[in-house]
Amino acid sequence: MEEYSADTSKRPEPEVLSPTSALNSQLLPIAAVLLAVLLVAVFALLVRKKSSKRGDAVILAGCSDAGKTAILTTLAYQQTLPTHASMQTNAALVALPSSRKTLRVVDVPGHPRIRDQFQEHLPQAKALAFVVDASTVSRNGAAVAEHLHMIMHALTSLPPSRSTPSLLIVAHKCDLLKGTANASAEQLAINRVRTILERELEKRRSTHANGVAVEGLGAEDAESEIGGLECTGNGEFKFAEWEGGEVAFIGTSVSVGKAAQVVTEKHSEKDGLSSLREWLEELA
Amino acid sequence: MLDHCSISHKGGVVLWSRSFTPAASHTAASSASPVNSLVREALIEGRSSDGKYEKDGYAVKWTFVNDLELIFVVAYQRILQLTYVEDLLNALKTLFIKLFQPFLTTFVASLHVTTTVKLSASTDTHSSWNFAKAFDGWDAVFDKLLRGLEDKAAQERRTRSGHVIRPMVEVTPPEEDINIVPSQSSDNVLDQEQIARNVQALKNRLRGRGGPPGRRGRGRADVENGRDSLPGSDSETPSKSKRKAKAQRKWGDEAPTESDMASLDFSYDSSTSDSHIAPPVDLSALVDNGSLGTRTQDGLYEVRDWEFAQSQGGKSADDVIAEVLKKSGQEPPKPSSGSLGALGSIFARLTGSKVLTEEDLKPVLEAMKQHLMKKNVAKEISDKICEDVGQSLVGKKVGGFQTTNSAVRQALANSITRILTPKTSTDLLLSIRTKLSAPVAASQQRQPYSITFVGVNGVGKSTNLSKVCFWLIQNGFRVLIAACDTFRSGAVEQLRVHVRNLGMLGVDGATNSKGRVELYERGYGKDAAGIAKEAISYARDNDFDVVLIDTAGRMQDNEPLMRALAKLVATNNPDKIIFVGEALVGNEAVDQLTKFDRALRDFSAASGGQERGIDGMLVTKWDTVDDKVGAALSMTYVTGQPIIFVGCGQTYTDLRQLRVGNVVQAILSD
Repeated sequence: MEEYSADTSKRPEPEVLSPTSALNSQLLPIAAVLLAVLLVAVFALLVRKKSSKRGDAVILAGCSDAGKTAILTTLAYQQTLPTHASMQTNAALVALPSSRKTLRVVDVPGHPRIRDQFQEHLPQAKALAFVVDASTVSRNGAAVAEHLHMIMHALTSLPPSRSTPSLLIVAHKCDLLKGTANASAEQLAINRVRTILERELEKRRSTHANGVAVEGLGAEDAESEIGGLECTGNGEFKFAEWEGGEVAFIGTSVSVGKAAQVVTEKHSEKDGLSSLREWLEELA
Repeated sequence: MLDHCSISHKGGVVLWSRSFTPAASHTAASSASPVNSLVREALIEGRSSDGKYEKDGYAVKWTFVNDLELIFVVAYQRILQLTYVEDLLNALKTLFIKLFQPFLTTFVASLHVTTTVKLSASTDTHSSWNFAKAFDGWDAVFDKLLRGLEDKAAQERRTRSGHVIRPMVEVTPPEEDINIVPSQSSDNVLDQEQIARNVQALKNRLRGRGGPPGRRGRGRADVENGRDSLPGSDSETPSKSKRKAKAQRKWGDEAPTESDMASLDFSYDSSTSDSHIAPPVDLSALVDNGSLGTRTQDGLYEVRDWEFAQSQGGKSADDVIAEVLKKSGQEPPKPSSGSLGALGSIFARLTGSKVLTEEDLKPVLEAMKQHLMKKNVAKEISDKICEDVGQSLVGKKVGGFQTTNSAVRQALANSITRILTPKTSTDLLLSIRTKLSAPVAASQQRQPYSITFVGVNGVGKSTNLSKVCFWLIQNGFRVLIAACDTFRSGAVEQLRVHVRNLGMLGVDGATNSKGRVELYERGYGKDAAGIAKEAISYARDNDFDVVLIDTAGRMQDNEPLMRALAKLVATNNPDKIIFVGEALVGNEAVDQLTKFDRALRDFSAASGGQERGIDGMLVTKWDTVDDKVGAALSMTYVTGQPIIFVGCGQTYTDLRQLRVGNVVQAILSD
């Protein structure tokens, strides 16, 4: 009996509530869908903002004593300060005079024990400039090639969602080479660096391609192979045929201690870094 | 006195430098400068011992300022003992920061840009980065400071030497005529005239004595005429010499006088003193009231128990504080956050202004040290690593939500990664191929690549040698194994079994690998160096690519055996010397490696070859330690050489390469 009364007492309530509940039942999914769309839109905007922020830095890497910190100070402070071996990375803002844009340049130490720090900056890199000392590359070509191999491997193993940073090889300290009648010092330096690096990298590629490597500890990760040197064509390593992208070569020089003229948009000085500046402008 | 002094940023930019000699200024700009070598070899390696570094005849001292990331370096000649260098460094530090703090902060900030910000046109091209102007008055300040310190040091030296001379003056012998140069007066500086006068007096005396006449007299005549301006010098000299009045000696046949008796009386003054007046003794020095024992209920006095942890903990804390204070010197005391307590430090951290002090770091570093030791890292190595980490963190700002613990952990992970990352290539295949493909002279044959395995007894040299041999065979090389362990019974037979097994394993689709691996042995009891030499020439004649030399195990402090090993290395000059060590070893690893390396370097240089040390390491029995892999860290820290392979089992395929990230993670995990 009580149940019946309870039912009857309950029955009018649903009638009172039914229009609102009907409204709710219509509005609720619509509201949910709208909310979801809004969230997705906001998220997409954020992600796009992040990805546009990504890839705005230029990494300066290379072996020890190549001249990376000197290049950085010349670009950032318009004067070449004396330097010694870097113990940590420097990140400075460089203003490009003609295009009025600014770039962030990250100078990573070249000492073998700390050179892996460039990996931390690779996600934000738009380009990577590998600085080579053109006057001593004939002596320590193997070490330079090992470093370059590591960098090329890192560049090619980035996930495909991110665009690969473009690679530039800078033949630095060209002023220590003497130019001949046919070719300027920069051309000589570029050719020398290119041939030596191609030769050494080819040696490395053939060793690893034909050989059986020892696995790393904890064989779950398949990253035991050092790749990164794949080329189209007949497989021999050439920079022009590298599958990781286009590799550009420029030759530069700085003179330590001499305060470089301030480069304004009025007069474009032909100082040793002009080719590097042009390349940066094209990049930005 | 100093050769070179410089102030630079850790990122590599030299802010100011001064060379005091032309040679130093010449090398300062090159890559062989003392500052460059210091950074490359001592600071980045993180293995600088005791805060001093020496290279090429220079001794280099340095100090850091961590919040502004500056390095202050002073280089001087090693043979000089300059006492004021530490004070100079500390004073430089405080002065430089006081004078140029705002400029330095902007400079450091400009090198740590994290996001690209659009610079306005007005600031960038005509920017105020005029470094010469910024450090304008610094040269004068530095000169003044250096001069002050040098003067003080010179004065100290003078007073010290002055004290030394004076006692000698008092004991000059008396008025003997034969006496040499008359003794000096109390002032040390003799001017030229006095010296000339003294010499003249001496000559006169000798002449007056009727010394050898004739030639000397004739010779003197000329000299005398020239010295006419110094008459009567002879008469002055006796007055200069000090005459000690001779006291008459007392013989024992007289009765002692009153004064003698008083001076000879050594008995207690019991007659004169009062017995009530106790001799003044400091009672508090006799008994330390804090360490008194307890009285039991029976009235017995029991001595207090010895407490281990307290005494040791207190001592190490004192040491740490004293050390850090010595380094920081005259630095102004940092404002402690203790005024507001814990809340204050939390607010300070959130606003990004918390500065790490030694008190904050000390307990965290202690905990980290214990953790490392629990992971089987040798005690001295964990001490040094934690000390380095502490030194690099003092004065650093932590911001955001990072606790002290996590900051120290991060720094420790970086430090361990840096120590474990190899600085030379560990690619053995590439080195072998490079050597084999190098052009040889037409008359000579191609030399094979030789690898020597050394180590103490029982670490697994022969087993891991055969694993490396298997890997080389898989890569297509022809390998010769030289059995230079002529001491241990069964060593040669063991290698023969390995060669037989390897011969039965197929390579590249072939059913077996006959002809790819061979054993070269000459039995037991012969000289290992001779066998190795013959093996290498046999390999050269028969076109083998690689020679693996197995040596007998030996203890690191057994000198004759270490000499024998060094002789083997010196005569054969192997391309790689691999030290085989096991992962189970703890503190012993440090001792083994230091002694092996030192013995190899010393003895191989002595027996005529070039100085060779250990080139790489192979850590065995890795599968017996699950994550207590601290031995790898100790071994790389001691030698600085990389770990080439890791052996983790007893079959031929149980050879791995070391992954630095895995090891760091294993060490730092709980």
